[in-house]
Amino acid sequence: MASPPGSRNAGVLRVRAPVSPRQSAISAVGIWVVFFGVWTLANRMGWVNPILVPPPDQVLKTLYTLFAEQGFASDVLISVERVLVAFAMACLVAVPLGVAMGAFPAIDVVLSPFVSAWRYLPAPSFIPILLMWFGTGEAPKLALLFLGVIFFLITLIADHTKEVRKELIETALTLGAGQRVTVLRVMLPAVLPSIVTAMRQMLAMTWTYLVIAEIVASTTGIGAMMMRARRFLHTDEILAGIIVIGALGLVFDMAFAALHRRLFPYLQESR
Amino acid sequence: MAEVLLHIEQLSKSFPMPGGRLLTAVENVSFTVETGSVCVLLGPSGSGKSTILRIIAGLETQTAGAVRLRGRPIAGPGRDRGMVFQAYTSFDWLPVGKNVEFGMKINGVPARERRERAARFVDLVGLTKFIDAYPSRLSGGMRQRVAIARTLANAPEVLLMDEPFGALDAETRWQMQELMVDIARDSGATIIMVTHDIEEAIFLADKIVFLSSHPGRLREVIVPDFKPAERIRNKERVLELPGFGQLERKIMRMMREEGERV
Repeated sequence: MASPPGSRNAGVLRVRAPVSPRQSAISAVGIWVVFFGVWTLANRMGWVNPILVPPPDQVLKTLYTLFAEQGFASDVLISVERVLVAFAMACLVAVPLGVAMGAFPAIDVVLSPFVSAWRYLPAPSFIPILLMWFGTGEAPKLALLFLGVIFFLITLIADHTKEVRKELIETALTLGAGQRVTVLRVMLPAVLPSIVTAMRQMLAMTWTYLVIAEIVASTTGIGAMMMRARRFLHTDEILAGIIVIGALGLVFDMAFAALHRRLFPYLQESR
Repeated sequence: MAEVLLHIEQLSKSFPMPGGRLLTAVENVSFTVETGSVCVLLGPSGSGKSTILRIIAGLETQTAGAVRLRGRPIAGPGRDRGMVFQAYTSFDWLPVGKNVEFGMKINGVPARERRERAARFVDLVGLTKFIDAYPSRLSGGMRQRVAIARTLANAPEVLLMDEPFGALDAETRWQMQELMVDIARDSGATIIMVTHDIEEAIFLADKIVFLSSHPGRLREVIVPDFKPAERIRNKERVLELPGFGQLERKIMRMMREEGERV
């Protein structure tokens, strides 16, 4: 039997076919309903050991108790502070260096071989020496977070700055701009949206290093709480910590997205 | 004839190729550009017309020869030679008015004068309604209008245009060509334009510098003297002039010969 023309393109999965807002909302909620449903079911049916995998409602109760009765908020604040301080220091160094590398090949050929080499060294491998240098205070944790993102951030910003179109630079030069004006008034504003996007990506990575730092060498912070909980088989607290880290990551990501829209209104109009 | 603004003297440019050979893009090209005139560089691809324009702008350095502006040899880019490119160059983070003010701002023109001049040139290119809009809202033709206004507002001695309408659709292109007639007539700007569009060249040019290819050499300087002294804005009226078709056919033959020579 011959099928009608075009029938091969019917069905749910069509390449690049647009999806209605309703379908995408239902899908987004649905996947989480399924996730928690399977989790609850596994507990009810006794498929998993409740000591290792506590049911979701218990994790949520524990999350409430942690904040209400056990002063977990101060751990969360310490963690947030570590991320923000280390990340701000990394940005303060990376933005000027990255833009300078992207603008001036003479600077790029000096710094690029150095920065690229460091990028391949996993930051956690510095933990033992950082502990010896900085002791057990805040310094080694901040240093780890800083080292973890700084080289990626510099490279990303330098690459984005190199992508600023030649015609924009030549326009500035033929309007009478010198080197300084060309970099600060044309290249920098042109690359700024990409810099903020790079920051957004690297902030997520800072959270990864935070957990490593707090698990390995800290008595405070979300990661340290989770390691304490492990000693007493409090899996519900560990899972609650994971949820908090995930939620914080999401909040910061959304904040950066909002900042991006706020700073660059001209990018919205074309979409 | 009017006074000479630009002397292009025995200009040559070669680029090093992989393998150590030299590619000669421009060889021994000389011509002059008179104040207030429109000079069009025309030729097949590979005739070095963009390279010549970029040397005049100071964005490339010649291998031999000289470019003199009012007798002074040029060294590097400067505000006296403003350039409009084929690719869009609007500064997306600035609204139209601020884009047009940009050159004046970095050159220290006081804020009030800057705004007045910007408003005047935005009006000249017909974008007054869009003076506070960001370029991302504008069409390609409107963005090129912004680039032209920005360059002119900066008061260059010569306006350099590198295939400025090459990326535009046909209708927008002839509208922009008629706008250029307005600008040449009303502002008295000296304009050097690179194009490979024969019709555009004849319509706009006071002088056509025809270049042959591989390497780029001067083949002929053509003055379309069938056109009356005062500039005609209406394109079909120029197309109707008896000399137009004749010159168009002549230049097409020259283009064809260049193609067959390779």
